[in-house]
Amino acid sequence: MDVGTTIGSIKKGCWVFMSAIIANSCVEEFEPETEIFESALIVEATITNEEKRQQVLVSRTFRLEEDGPTPESSAVVRITDDQQGNYAFEEVEPGTYLSTEPFRALPGRAYELTVETSDGRTYGSRASSLTPESEILDLYASVGENSNGQEGIGIFLDNRPLGTDARFFRFEYEETYKIIAPRWVAVDAVVVRDRPRPPIVILEPKTEEQRVCYNTVPSNTIILSDTEDSSQDGLTRFPVRFIRKDNFIISHRYSILVKQFVQSRDAFAFYETLDEFSSQTESLFSQVQPGFLEGNIFSLENESEKVLGFFQVSSVTTRRLFFDYEDFFPGEPLPPYESDCSEEFTPNLLPDGPDGPSPLVQAINALGQKYVEATGDENSPYILVTRACGDCTALGSNVVPEFWEE
Amino acid sequence: MSRFCLIILLLSPLTVVGQEDGVKLSISFTDEPIAKVIPMIEEQTDYQFFYAEDWLGSDTISGDFIGVNILEVLDHIFGKTDIQYHFGPNRKIYLIRNQIIYNELPDGFFGRTPDSSGSNVEIPSRNEVNPIFLNLEKVNRASKVKTIRIGKANQNRRDELLKLQGYARAGTTGEPITDLAIFIKGGRGGVVTNEKGYYEIRLPYGKNSVLTKSLGFKDTENIIVMFNDGRYDFVLEENVEQLEEVVVEGLARTNVEDATTGANQILSEETKNIPLVLGERDVLKVATTLPGITTAGEGAAGFNVRGGNTDQNLILLDGAVIYNPTHFFGIFQALNPFAVKDAVIYKGNIPARFGGRLSSVFDITTEDGNTSALSAEASIGPVTSNVVVETPVIKDKASFLLGARGTYSDWILRSLDDESLRNSEASFYDFIAKYTHKLDGNNTLSGTAYYSRDNFSITSDSLFGFGNRMVSLRWDRRINEKTKGQLIFSNSQYDFEIEFDGNSNEDFDLGYTINETEAKLNFVHIPNDKHTLNYGLSSKLYLVDPGRRNPLNNESTVTPLEIPREKGLESAIYISDNFKVNDKLLIDAGVRFSIFSALGPSTQRIYEEGQPRSEGTLIEEREFDRNDFITTYGGPEFRLAARYLLAPDLSIKASFNNTFQYIHTLSNTTTVSPIDTWKLSDLNIEPAQGYQYSIGVYKNLQEDMYELSLEGYYKTTTNVLDFKTGAELLLNEEIETEILQGEGEAYGIEVLMRKNRGKLNGWLGYTYSRSFLRFDSPFREERINDGDFFPSNFDRPHDLSLVANYKLTRRFSLSTNFVYQTGRPITFPVGSFNFNNSEFVFFSNRNEFRIPDYYRLDIGLNIEGNHKIKKFAHSFWTISVYNVLGRNNPYSVFFLTDNGEVKALQSSIFAIPIPSITYNFKF
Repeated sequence: MDVGTTIGSIKKGCWVFMSAIIANSCVEEFEPETEIFESALIVEATITNEEKRQQVLVSRTFRLEEDGPTPESSAVVRITDDQQGNYAFEEVEPGTYLSTEPFRALPGRAYELTVETSDGRTYGSRASSLTPESEILDLYASVGENSNGQEGIGIFLDNRPLGTDARFFRFEYEETYKIIAPRWVAVDAVVVRDRPRPPIVILEPKTEEQRVCYNTVPSNTIILSDTEDSSQDGLTRFPVRFIRKDNFIISHRYSILVKQFVQSRDAFAFYETLDEFSSQTESLFSQVQPGFLEGNIFSLENESEKVLGFFQVSSVTTRRLFFDYEDFFPGEPLPPYESDCSEEFTPNLLPDGPDGPSPLVQAINALGQKYVEATGDENSPYILVTRACGDCTALGSNVVPEFWEE
Repeated sequence: MSRFCLIILLLSPLTVVGQEDGVKLSISFTDEPIAKVIPMIEEQTDYQFFYAEDWLGSDTISGDFIGVNILEVLDHIFGKTDIQYHFGPNRKIYLIRNQIIYNELPDGFFGRTPDSSGSNVEIPSRNEVNPIFLNLEKVNRASKVKTIRIGKANQNRRDELLKLQGYARAGTTGEPITDLAIFIKGGRGGVVTNEKGYYEIRLPYGKNSVLTKSLGFKDTENIIVMFNDGRYDFVLEENVEQLEEVVVEGLARTNVEDATTGANQILSEETKNIPLVLGERDVLKVATTLPGITTAGEGAAGFNVRGGNTDQNLILLDGAVIYNPTHFFGIFQALNPFAVKDAVIYKGNIPARFGGRLSSVFDITTEDGNTSALSAEASIGPVTSNVVVETPVIKDKASFLLGARGTYSDWILRSLDDESLRNSEASFYDFIAKYTHKLDGNNTLSGTAYYSRDNFSITSDSLFGFGNRMVSLRWDRRINEKTKGQLIFSNSQYDFEIEFDGNSNEDFDLGYTINETEAKLNFVHIPNDKHTLNYGLSSKLYLVDPGRRNPLNNESTVTPLEIPREKGLESAIYISDNFKVNDKLLIDAGVRFSIFSALGPSTQRIYEEGQPRSEGTLIEEREFDRNDFITTYGGPEFRLAARYLLAPDLSIKASFNNTFQYIHTLSNTTTVSPIDTWKLSDLNIEPAQGYQYSIGVYKNLQEDMYELSLEGYYKTTTNVLDFKTGAELLLNEEIETEILQGEGEAYGIEVLMRKNRGKLNGWLGYTYSRSFLRFDSPFREERINDGDFFPSNFDRPHDLSLVANYKLTRRFSLSTNFVYQTGRPITFPVGSFNFNNSEFVFFSNRNEFRIPDYYRLDIGLNIEGNHKIKKFAHSFWTISVYNVLGRNNPYSVFFLTDNGEVKALQSSIFAIPIPSITYNFKF
């Protein structure tokens, strides 16, 4: 925990205190509207020392009230190095550009990124070179509490620099968890006929795997740490992720792939500021002065054009960890499932009015509710549950990931 | 003989016999008082005298008459006194003091007399001036107004202006009262006593109602009957029972007559009726209701004076600097309201004796302890309690005052249900002590000590504290009739620390300290009535520990870090002259020469000239030894002001001043935070400079009941600090690489209307002002908003404040505040973007938008305890409702990314009406 965050939580605490005393201070959410919209180019480019098709993401800003992103298509993306290396990129899906050939960043070379958008503007980055390497010594999970005193599993990391100067780290992770639909049965209620009335719904064996699934989710928070203030070279017991005990993702088997990016000081500062601006809730009494965040990508034609982006060349190390809920909480009840599966529905087969829809057909086809058992009542023949309770594909994929180990 | 007699006499139709003739007597007396001579005459004749014995005085008289007319004897006896004799019927002689008794009533005595009546009355004067019937009025009007007669009636001087002169002295100490305003009720003229308490005033012949007014003394009204030039000394009682009105004023005409622009005084006692949040009396909060003084938001610490940053205010408590005069992030002031006497705020022309900040001086003075009896004052409010105890140490010479103040928030927290809150800690307290010792008539020693502390432990793993401590010693000496001197030593410190005790190996504690020690020698020399010189010198040593961090325990792997101490010496020499050029023009011209040296030991980083400062442009690290002069800045500061009286109650003023500031706060938040640090100027950071021009018109109405002022100013500043976006300021060893220095521009018009007396009093202030900043550079990373001017965080164009107090009865009064302000500028998103699998907001240029306007209404009811004289304690209740309208004034708007999506939030501090009740008592 660095100083800034500590201070942040202090302020948050004060806030709580004031609220307690006067019981009326308030923080409310509101719908923001973009009063003036500025379209600006966003570039996210991290190339690594892994041999792969390297990726560059190019998009534009979008209105606050809209859901993004707005990909920037048909741009010409290129990376060059100071030894006449030239790496072309192609757009594989809107806004996502992959190098046409796989390559890996090599130490000692200076790389530059250029982006030419379809409207003819060109953007360039400052030169960047590969950061030093650091190895992940250990990745492990243990039961503990978070700062709010809630119980759960913390995932920690120890690392060690290979050589010197690997002091700034950013982490990403990809977590994969096994889902077992709690009300799964081997048969499905299938609508054979809706009209003419009466509708016909029959039971058929399921044709695909719907009991056990896997879901993979990438991290979406900025996780940073540095060893600049530490007497040790590496991180010890750095908390990468905390999962509350009541989070359903750890119900069965859980796996996390942690990616460690060694960053330059500038890149670290950029991510740190980005993070600071987006977690301002903690600084109520004194808000951090926000402003335009400058990266290392600029317009080559118009100096005052705002471009937000960072091009970095990072050394990457990854490590995967598996564990079961049973490993840490043997014999304890599982966390609550994602959906409430005790809620059961018994829709009528026949509609209420002559022309109305059949509630049962609606439940199966529109809501995707899943059969669990028959009632014996002809008017409402089946008991149904929310889809995810009987069909895990609502929450993940039924294909076992390649890396999965039981 | 009683006065009553005379009244009857005057009211009954007089049949006054003219000159008595014939009665002769022989009498001889040597060095006898007149009181003894009169019975001798009565013995020898059958005349009977009517008089009041005390009129006759103790002067003795001698005489030897044989067979002379009684008139001759009486003329001899009373010729040199102010007594006149008059013969009544039945051999009665009335002695009357300085009054000619007319044998006829004057014209117009019973209303208008028709001219046609053809008056055959001979009034022995040339002009139709109403003669003086003193006691007639007294019958109609019972009042405590004293009547003073000057000279003897002399009909020849009726159309002249007569000169009255004398001294004003304090009743208890006999000390001269300076600056006492003496003026004629309802008239235009008025004078002020000089430094010796001397005055001279021209009054018309006859009865004059003369008023006196001064701070600290009871106002008086005297009937002064002028018969001749004369002398009268005013002996005034100190004003022990303070005024109960909300008045922000010094002398009645200070507004008009002072040369200083933009100065205000707030008396702590007089703020007690102003409703404030949680019933807390707060001089500093009241200050923000005056034009030109604002805060960045409700409950925000720090003030912005005339478009200046919060670090540009010099806050002095008995001459020593207080760095953070607030508790709890600015919600409460850190000064005990009972110990504070007043605050004088200079926001325009800053007197030459002050310096070191660009925008303003808040000169706060504490009360002197009571030298005659033990007394105490206390208040009990919903969040805090205050107490001040005063006691004489040596009667009439030395006294001690002790004040304490604290919150019971810890107790409140512990009684809450929520577990995390119950384990929290939040407390603050402050103490003040003052010792005053009057060594003799010419020397006074006083010392003040002050300590304040805030502690918070909110999350289970961190503890945060900050506090001030201050001590000042002062020796006041009257060197001679014309010169007074003061020697002040002071030391002030502000510090904060953070302890982080989590579960990882990164536990640390962190701290910051600034300490300053100052010696100041100040003289006031008044060579004559035209000049008042103020000169002196001061020197101040700063010691700043910009940050230290230590591992908290053995497991902690945090490396100890200490940013090397900064040391600086700021000295100044100054002189100013308050020069009364003529009755109308007053010039206050001063110059201050200040100089600042950054002192070693230090390592200064030298960067390439003309390049942005960064690791890449670092040329060398230069070492400086202990007390080496690293660099020196300085220059003259001019403090010029002039006042021209267009009429006795109407003036115009203009001023120019420039200032230097060698110390800067480092803050990358939009409002003041207790972890903002102060940094001294050094090789890389130049001192800030300010220039202010102001002009104003001032008018008092209805005997100073109303005061109006209209003031405009234009201000520029250079080398003000800002920071690169997202700069890390604390514990940064290369802080200069994050700092931007730019320029500021501010201008505004301030209108203040004040009603000082009457059942309804208070003030209404309106300000239109703008404040802009610009950070330009050839390098894009050193620019903000492309190097254009942008509104500062505290640019609030419209600012309206109303403070009113209505006295229902002697015991009940109602008071109210109303505040309206334009919302402050903020940096709002102009879009969102995706990055790192999350959505973030893309911010506009700095301060392109504003939060909604701010307005608030507060109402308070003040109840005085009953006024029985023998009661042990005097009590006072304040019931108030803050934010009666329940207006949800946004304090800030912010955006956070939660689970990959942007959420917009707005916070407000006091969003609903907050009632509170406070009980005060004193004895």
